[in-house]
Amino acid sequence: MVSPAAARRIRRDRAPGRTRPPMLLAAPALIGFGFLVLPLLALLVRAPWRGLGRLLSDSQVLTALRLSLECASAATAASLVLGVPLAWVLARVRFPGLALVRALVTLPLVLPPVVGGVALLMALGRNGIVGRYLDEWFGVTLPFTTAGVIVAETFVAMPFLVVTVEGALRSSDLGLEEAAATLGASRITVFGRVTLPLIGPSVLAGAVLCWARALGEFGATITFAGNYPGTTRTLTLQVYNTLETDPQAAIALGLVLLLVAVLVLAALRDRWLRAGSAP
Amino acid sequence: MTDRVTSIAGRPPQPVSGALHVCATVERGAFRLDADVGAEPGEVVGVLGPNGAGKSTLLRAIAGLTPVTTGRIVLGEDVLDDADRGIFRRPEQRPVGVVFQNYRLFPHLTVRANVAFAARCRGMRRGPAGHVADGWLRRLALTDFADRKPAQLSGGQAQRVALARALAADPDLLLLDEPLAALDVQTHAEVQGELRAHLADFPGPTLFVTHDPIEALLLASRIVILEQGLITQQGTPTEITSRPRTPYVARLVGMNLYAGHASAGVVALDGGGVLVAPDAADGRVLVALRPSALTVYAEEPHASSARNIWPASITALAPLGDRIRLTAVGAQTVFADVTASAVAELQLIPGRPVWLTAKATDLVAYPEPMAG
Repeated sequence: MVSPAAARRIRRDRAPGRTRPPMLLAAPALIGFGFLVLPLLALLVRAPWRGLGRLLSDSQVLTALRLSLECASAATAASLVLGVPLAWVLARVRFPGLALVRALVTLPLVLPPVVGGVALLMALGRNGIVGRYLDEWFGVTLPFTTAGVIVAETFVAMPFLVVTVEGALRSSDLGLEEAAATLGASRITVFGRVTLPLIGPSVLAGAVLCWARALGEFGATITFAGNYPGTTRTLTLQVYNTLETDPQAAIALGLVLLLVAVLVLAALRDRWLRAGSAP
Repeated sequence: MTDRVTSIAGRPPQPVSGALHVCATVERGAFRLDADVGAEPGEVVGVLGPNGAGKSTLLRAIAGLTPVTTGRIVLGEDVLDDADRGIFRRPEQRPVGVVFQNYRLFPHLTVRANVAFAARCRGMRRGPAGHVADGWLRRLALTDFADRKPAQLSGGQAQRVALARALAADPDLLLLDEPLAALDVQTHAEVQGELRAHLADFPGPTLFVTHDPIEALLLASRIVILEQGLITQQGTPTEITSRPRTPYVARLVGMNLYAGHASAGVVALDGGGVLVAPDAADGRVLVALRPSALTVYAEEPHASSARNIWPASITALAPLGDRIRLTAVGAQTVFADVTASAVAELQLIPGRPVWLTAKATDLVAYPEPMAG
């Protein structure tokens, strides 16, 4: 016979996560958490709450905000059009060099964005290996234009979508695609009517992630597209610019971007925040 | 309007579709399937075999989901595969309907949309495709479930939806993979009768694979036994149950089966022992013996008229219906069915020596098929 107190103790000890963690782990964990939260807290504490309306209604800010939203959305659209088929090929087609292709696709995830910007200049700049012909034949110049911003953001953000969608495709049920084929569905019909609807939530999650990454893009954008008010100065560049001249405005813009980040996190909560769940 | 639906869904008399002929090999790694099977229009062929025998590979090859390595698969006038001529019709181009083992219903579509899927793939608009689907839903008594999603269906209902979806594509050949395996025991019995009736309505050839002998015996008009990638026996259920050709089939149908050499009505069994079987033609033979045809004695019977009498030792006892199946080892291992009272009376326990008898007339002897 176990006493009630002992039984409680056993229950408590058995319940995972209820045990008291050893100090050697708890202390760094606490410091780590504080380190991540402190800057956000500081942003909130120092925010010019009273002048917020005035700071955010500044025409330069509004222009940058609109540009940011438009470019991030366009980059996401481009990523969907190119990235979903790319993810499908990576997940469904066996060909030599597949591993290398996958590595190259994910490279922008770990590449310093500034390097990405330089690389884009070498490729699509006026004297770039492709950009030269774009200029000569079509009169199209990408660097230092709004289109350039979209190109830079797509380069940096698309891998997020590709990786998410490819993962979903890999874990999706091939049996359903086979069943569709035996019912007379061509491969493109199978993709449109069976595969895509089933991985829809993952495509959406990948798109949100991609959009958030594009919105926060800085390094590749400033390198490839420059920093011109109205055409290439997105919100992140605006924050960087105003930090020296008007720190209060920079903080206010920082709050806006923080709010966006929180919203994105809320949108993805089921996917990324449930501990231990598969993506 | 209604007439049009019936004309598609109700299958008016139409030219009988062609027979299925498979003569092909499929190699996948170390596994090799070498199949020579066929099915006539209106015939229901059950391919029966243990797990890993290549049943699913055969089904997948016919459906075009796995390419054949050599040989041909022909349906009527349609050459679906011809390895020599480099012909391979993609699955979506084959007039073959498949009911998969776990049904593989599209989880994001309603029952109606699942059944309308094939029509939609052929470019039919949503409305007319829905009408076609409704015709099939009516035939399979699924109208009440039309707006449900597959997750809201019972096993038996899901199976009917899978069948309706396959039939709605108007196939010339119907394939089913373990049609009853995914059902619980009670639903099993219920669905069996329905499925039999629906299969009987289908004018083309039907081929299904299963590892369950009961399923094969109940649904098939002809059974093909597949073992380790090779077809070892074909025949009607009666032929299969009365004259098993391999130990696997004998075990499935609960028969004792012995191979040996017959000479003047006496069969010298491989591995020792003789059986008297007057009907046996000279040469290599198989001898089948029903477990219920054996009589068990505690002492050597001297008054028995049976021509086959031999000593053995009981190794196992297991209940089987209202009987008890005992396993006895003598010159050969033998299964014998006895009543529970006989077990009590003769004190049949493992390790007990007994005498077994079998009348010569109860032995069924037939020539052993060629190896391979």
